[in-house]
Amino acid sequence: MVVGSVSRGCQVVVIGGGPGGYVAAIRLAQLGKDVLLVERRKTLGGVCLNEGCIPSKALIHAAEIKHEAEHATGMGLSTEGVHVDMPRLVKWKDGIVRRLTSGVKFLCEKNGAELLEGEATFTSDRSLAVETAEGRVEVEFEQAVIATGSSPMDLPGVERDGVSVIGAREALSLEAVPEHLVVIGAGYIGLELGTVYAKLGSSVTVVELLPELFPGLEPEVADTMKRRLKQLGIALKLGYRVTGVTPGEPAVVAVEGPEGETASFEAEKVLVSIGRVPNTAGLGLERAGVATGGGGFVTVNERQESSVSGIFAIGDVVGGALLAHKAYQEAKVAAEVIAGEAAAFDAVVPAVVYTDPEIAWAGLTEAAARERGHEVVTGSFPFRASGRAMTLGSTDGFVKVVGDAADGRLLGITAVGRGVSELMGEATLALETDAFLEDLAATIHPHPTMSEALQEAVELALGKAVHALNER
Amino acid sequence: MAFVFRFPDVGEGIHEGRVVEWLVAEGDTVAVDQPLVKVETDKAVVELPSPRAGTVLKLHAEAGAEIHVGDPLVTLGEAGEAPPAGEPEAAAPEASAAAPPREEPAAPAPAAPAVPRRRPPATPKTRQLARSLGVDLGTVRGTGPGGRITDEDVRRAAAGGPAPAPTAAPAPAAPSSPAPASPPPAGTPASTADGPVERVPLSHLRKVIARSMRESKHTAAHVTHVDEADVTALLALHASMKADAAARGGVRVTLLPLFVRALVAVLREHPVFNAEVDEAAEELVLKRFYNIGIAVDTPEGLIVPVVKGADRKSMVELAAEIAELAEKARERRLALEELRGATCTITNIGPLGGVFATPIIPLPQLAIVGLHTIKERPVVVDGEIAIRKMMYLSVSFDHRWIDGAQAARFMSDLVRLVENPGLLMARL
Repeated sequence: MVVGSVSRGCQVVVIGGGPGGYVAAIRLAQLGKDVLLVERRKTLGGVCLNEGCIPSKALIHAAEIKHEAEHATGMGLSTEGVHVDMPRLVKWKDGIVRRLTSGVKFLCEKNGAELLEGEATFTSDRSLAVETAEGRVEVEFEQAVIATGSSPMDLPGVERDGVSVIGAREALSLEAVPEHLVVIGAGYIGLELGTVYAKLGSSVTVVELLPELFPGLEPEVADTMKRRLKQLGIALKLGYRVTGVTPGEPAVVAVEGPEGETASFEAEKVLVSIGRVPNTAGLGLERAGVATGGGGFVTVNERQESSVSGIFAIGDVVGGALLAHKAYQEAKVAAEVIAGEAAAFDAVVPAVVYTDPEIAWAGLTEAAARERGHEVVTGSFPFRASGRAMTLGSTDGFVKVVGDAADGRLLGITAVGRGVSELMGEATLALETDAFLEDLAATIHPHPTMSEALQEAVELALGKAVHALNER
Repeated sequence: MAFVFRFPDVGEGIHEGRVVEWLVAEGDTVAVDQPLVKVETDKAVVELPSPRAGTVLKLHAEAGAEIHVGDPLVTLGEAGEAPPAGEPEAAAPEASAAAPPREEPAAPAPAAPAVPRRRPPATPKTRQLARSLGVDLGTVRGTGPGGRITDEDVRRAAAGGPAPAPTAAPAPAAPSSPAPASPPPAGTPASTADGPVERVPLSHLRKVIARSMRESKHTAAHVTHVDEADVTALLALHASMKADAAARGGVRVTLLPLFVRALVAVLREHPVFNAEVDEAAEELVLKRFYNIGIAVDTPEGLIVPVVKGADRKSMVELAAEIAELAEKARERRLALEELRGATCTITNIGPLGGVFATPIIPLPQLAIVGLHTIKERPVVVDGEIAIRKMMYLSVSFDHRWIDGAQAARFMSDLVRLVENPGLLMARL
């Protein structure tokens, strides 16, 4: 297999050790392939484990405990001055990250995937070079899986100095709770982290270019979120365009409002979270002949095959929903296709956002279902009618279901509320198995739980709810 | 007012296809029923006619693109009309086109929610089974509650799905001239560690043939029974028929119609060879009509047009129809109707040589008859060695439903008719 001057060969090389790459490497090794996993970080797990999903959830949970403790007087609990030890909190979070990243490394190695730390660049459609600490390693492969992920998008003309103007990575490891925080971009990262620091004591302003939150989701989501952000004291500036950011102490964010008015906000920290771009720079895609499409994302088919035979791509770098669990699934598809199995990606991709309250959805919204020509029935159950939500002191939110009026099939679920991320496994299973609304209605949901709201919403759609008034 | 013409549901369980060629360009003026585009489906290349007159404002798919029922194909408008602003593309429009380029909106990325396009109702496990058996779920009718597709449904589709027929056969109208050599398919040169190769994309037709053949071989219990026939008398009869037809300025009568009629006569006596099995109902469905599939070798692969009501047509009519179907098959101009509904199939491999072959049964049919090379051979006739025109005839049958003894009797009967054209006349 190894010919000429190349220093080594392998059957499959996986570029990137994030949720897409490490899952692909493990599955490929399980399927008997000789796998080389190339990662430029010192640790595996990518953005998700190192500076994304997991560390942010650690901070979110800590901030929630503090906030709950401070707002439990109605339950007869009073606390005085919950102290936030930011370095200690960051250390706890880092410990979780360490356990998880070393766990992933252990799994890769025990499954027989070989790891190589360095930066890979294609030199042809069957070879690449990896710059490692020990020098350049040339690798010839039979198949490659591109799983290089995505990075925060830069705001043109705004430099992130990493001190006063920061991205999500720095925001997860601050030394102290900033007094003023301005978040540019009201996407899920901006709102999650904005909420964390608001709860930890920062005064937070969120600036968003679009006139509305979460376009594309059920409109009730934005209504609930805006109400809750206000309660948390977060100033939300919708329809504001950032015209300039000056780093410093304080940093200054200049904006132009929806009526053309100008304003500026001072901040100890400015968090830029306006979206993400695929990591393809320096990868040498042009030397391999791999085509990219809109936004620079690598173009793939449902078998995760790129435009070049034998080169696959998975995860954020192919676009779509930039979510770890989508990457997991694509990784398994790519590995199985490489192993000669008849796999293809045709899964429903649920999404969860860890704002307060949480937002989660799977399948079609009501508007999207109508656009696709469905006659729809909907049911929306508010958590203020849920016994479990009341005992949690969290009655914000709802569960809304959309079904096909003609055949009674479930089409989509949107949930806003405490812990609703945990409802999405059931919701997605229902969609994957093409459940009917009647199936969900006839399934016992344990009492008292938040999951009962899903059953109630379905019963509302069917006009036979018991714990809420039906509309006819 | 602009009108978007979408890939229509052409029936026959066809849900997707590939754009082969556009017959119009943007800016062209088209009339009602003018062909717009050639689309290759599982079964044929079809021309889609324009539903109305107007100007072609936009073509929504490029040649070679995969399309699904409901996808926009063409936007038609009055002469000079501009296409509407909102493009009916399948892809979601760019989010917030109005946003200034300076700052992208923070994308929570939910704009295009999960479910891609309306998927046939089946669980992930069943979908995987369908992929591994090469079954297109869009063509499967679900028998589960509310039309859910079950594993059983998929297995049944894999076993009995509409399948074109087996082995290649040359143009039946020209048994004496060799089939034209296929042009080498255009490929892409590439290299591997072992040497240079050429990568040729598989045509839609090739993939359909592959799936059908595999399904049949996996499902049916194939047995091929071979017998030989002395066709000296049949050839003499054919020569006189041919001369007569030529003298009357009619079509060229080939040998194949004689075999079609002989087969039909034998099928009447042995109906299990003109049948299919309804496994769900556990019933044998004996067909009292005779639609004979004729395997045709085309440059792009095997296509099997069907001669409908072969029992009710004269030799001359059969000869003309077979010639026309073969021509249309080679030009990929067959209508779906001309490709479906065969009750039994003939493959005329003989003119290409060989002793005999074991053709694959085109499911859900239960048998296929192979006509093999006619050759002069010494045989014993009335105790003397004579030079006779001999041929092998084969019947491949599904031993799940037909026994070897039945096949032997079927074949003896067929041989008897072929050897004694007089008997054939009696049974027409």
